[in-house]
Amino acid sequence: MIQFFHVSKLYPGGQAALSDLTFDIPRGQFVFLTGASGAGKTTLLKLIFREEVPSEGQIVVNGRNVSSIPPGKIPFLRRSIGVVFQDFRLISRKTVFENVSYLPRILGLDAKTQRAVAYQALRRVGLAHRMNAFPEQLSGGEQQRVAIARALINDPEILIADEPTGNLDPDLSQEILRLFLEVNLRGTTVLLATHDRDTIERVGRRVVTLEQGKLVSDVELLGKDPPRLEAAEERPTEDLRPQLPSSPAGRPGPPEDTSA
Amino acid sequence: MNLLQALRYFFREALVNLGRGFRVSVLAILTIAVSLTLGGVFLLASRNLSGAVERWRAETRVVIYLKPDTPPAEVERLAAEARQAAGVRSVQPVSAAAARQRFRDLFPSLSGLVEGLGQEPLPASLEVALAETPGGKALPKDLAAWLDGWRRRPEVSMVDDDREWLRQVETLVAVVRGVGLALGLVLLGAAIFTIASVIRLTAYLHHEEISILRLVGATEFFIRGPFYVEGLLQGVLGAGIAVAGLYGAYHLVHARATASLLAAMLATDFLGGRQIAFVILLGAAAGLLGAVASLRRESL
Repeated sequence: MIQFFHVSKLYPGGQAALSDLTFDIPRGQFVFLTGASGAGKTTLLKLIFREEVPSEGQIVVNGRNVSSIPPGKIPFLRRSIGVVFQDFRLISRKTVFENVSYLPRILGLDAKTQRAVAYQALRRVGLAHRMNAFPEQLSGGEQQRVAIARALINDPEILIADEPTGNLDPDLSQEILRLFLEVNLRGTTVLLATHDRDTIERVGRRVVTLEQGKLVSDVELLGKDPPRLEAAEERPTEDLRPQLPSSPAGRPGPPEDTSA
Repeated sequence: MNLLQALRYFFREALVNLGRGFRVSVLAILTIAVSLTLGGVFLLASRNLSGAVERWRAETRVVIYLKPDTPPAEVERLAAEARQAAGVRSVQPVSAAAARQRFRDLFPSLSGLVEGLGQEPLPASLEVALAETPGGKALPKDLAAWLDGWRRRPEVSMVDDDREWLRQVETLVAVVRGVGLALGLVLLGAAIFTIASVIRLTAYLHHEEISILRLVGATEFFIRGPFYVEGLLQGVLGAGIAVAGLYGAYHLVHARATASLLAAMLATDFLGGRQIAFVILLGAAAGLLGAVASLRRESL
């Protein structure tokens, strides 16, 4: 699903953010990306959704070579990737609904469907009742959940999250983590960047560690106290899935945009 | 997203942007309104002056004034001779008495000036209507030579050719048109620059939103569309204000048309439908051009 081949990223001035990374994340896997601040986690994530371009090497995401993808195709790549940013990136003058419904609007869904899809996504993160609130009226945790709802609204094939629990209290962190694990259970590939070693050790899963831009370890960890997801699995999943148009493969996905 | 949905979205977002940046939007709209109004004034003046020239051309004559005391029979003979020339449509002999009567009719309050002088104060004349010349411009060479011949004749005191001053008026119209075009282009350039600045400012204010739109998979068309429509709307609104302003000014001047020859010359007709459409399209094009120029090198 995500493949890095000898990828390096140099910033202007010659500073190396990433050096010769080669690894592969199969479809449906949950991967923790960890390392100290400045290790290159955020840069690596940005390379996946083409916010940054590698200086060397090739990156293949869902069969598409991101390094050489034509600019006109980048939006279609991004529609298959949900991204949760560390700083949420919510628009303060837009309501929760408006913040979440960017993608349905881009896809040209009618207002009623946009609202239904946004409602489903917000319901998934427990914020359906705050659709008309503005971000500044929400707590940090709620804002984080809105950002997650926006990332999940298209039921993406890949979910990328950059320190999604960094600003949250332990209970809320656990809740958010559980949400990511639930999403992963339904087949979405999840790449979660965090420097929270305790969470990683408790949950387990594959852990890729960066140090000064280099991949220093890539291991499978058994969780000491993994969250129980049974309750989540008992939920009526039909209600949880946003009602976006289905792709030919049957997986909900964006239709072709004729506006490009 | 189909085109109709996209356009609906662009217009909605553009209207929101206009509302949010109300003051700078008004500035851009007024700039384009002022430039198009000034350009429109020249267009209007040029249209009306051209119309006046056309009307006058239909009435233009060459008047050959004869020496005083030219006997009526001689006047008739000269008229008959003039009628023989090629390019002459008609010749109307006007005797000294007829000229005096015409003066009294035209200027009743001044009629005392031409009374009781013992001899006719006004000369007899031949009013020569010339055949239409191609494009109504200069006389054919042979006709000009024919008029020169009349000027040299001993029976003639003066030849007054209306077309001389008509040509001067035509030159004036061309100058008005040229100045208007040049001034309009300069002002339109300023308006485009203003709109470009406003759009760039709007894009800057929306930078965060634009980056998010891009990250969730919006195409450049989707991102830039609202800004293009915003420029277009500013241009159309500015042009609309310009046309309305011109119409108001036209009405004011037109109301004085009976009292002032200048007013009559400048405000006989308002702009035609095509010209109004041209002004609106010019405004729209300027707005769109401003938006495109502002976002052309902008990474947004």
